[in-house]
Amino acid sequence: MIRRFRRGLDADDMGRDMALAEALGALDPSSRDPNYWLRFRGWVVTGASRELARRRLMAELTVGDVLTSWARMVVPTAVLAAAMAGMMLMRGGGVTEHPIGVEELLVSDIPRETVPVLLSPDAATGVVAFASEIF
Amino acid sequence: MSSTLSDIPTDGELVHRARKGDEIAFGLLVERYQRPAYAVALSVTGRHEDAEDAAQEAFLVALERLDGCRSPERFAGWLMTIVRNRSKNLIRRESLRDTDQVPTGSRSRVPTPDVLAERSEMRTVLEGVLAKLPEVQRQIVLLHDLEGWKHREIAERLELPSGTVRSHLHFARKALKAALSEMPEVPEIVRKIQ
Repeated sequence: MIRRFRRGLDADDMGRDMALAEALGALDPSSRDPNYWLRFRGWVVTGASRELARRRLMAELTVGDVLTSWARMVVPTAVLAAAMAGMMLMRGGGVTEHPIGVEELLVSDIPRETVPVLLSPDAATGVVAFASEIF
Repeated sequence: MSSTLSDIPTDGELVHRARKGDEIAFGLLVERYQRPAYAVALSVTGRHEDAEDAAQEAFLVALERLDGCRSPERFAGWLMTIVRNRSKNLIRRESLRDTDQVPTGSRSRVPTPDVLAERSEMRTVLEGVLAKLPEVQRQIVLLHDLEGWKHREIAERLELPSGTVRSHLHFARKALKAALSEMPEVPEIVRKIQ
């Protein structure tokens, strides 16, 4: 049954229905305006001209061009940054801050409360007990 | 014969060239698919002016997104998806702009002298009849009977099983003929298909 239905469809529908095609031809804009599709193509290609030009430009760029354009931007920026750094060093007259000692660096992040807490009688007992146990 | 065929650039070749900004290649792609793109747009929008706008927009969008076309050899299917989406967006935009617009099935324009001419009358009749079909059937019957695409091509490009395309075409034709036969005043050309 299914096969017969399918065969029927194949026989009916393999080709174009020319009468229907002729009728549907009225929907083709070129039936009213023979140059329609030529103009359509023109509209689209004109509308795409900027994008096409951009793509041509991108395709023409070689690796060397990309590196050159990159270097052209980066080198002056690096020179400027180096010059500014040099000026800052010169103006400052060298390092003015006092050097930080190792001990100072080790305790720099420890909260201030640590010392009083350690010096409290309870803590001291704890520390002494701990020390006596160890030594 | 074979040398002539090999001279015709494939879609893949044209897409590669268009990606580099080759205007001739892009123009050939437009020439190759402007009719089917219009047919698909017309099947969604139901109106010439909208179909024209949507098809043109779709080509421009396709060029902008050409690098995203993963299978250049299947450009046609990829383009038709863009055409369908642009057409739907256009309808959505228009319905937001004009909330009083009549539904797609009964769209009609203000009568002009042109409409009185037989082909325009025919177009109006067909637009009305086609609007009654489901969108997929409109697309298939227009691509097959107007543009001459084969079942295989439609199946591949609309990403539908071949059997589905055949049955949609069968029912679309049947519905079209039935609808046209019910119309009291149809141009002579329509009588020929009944």
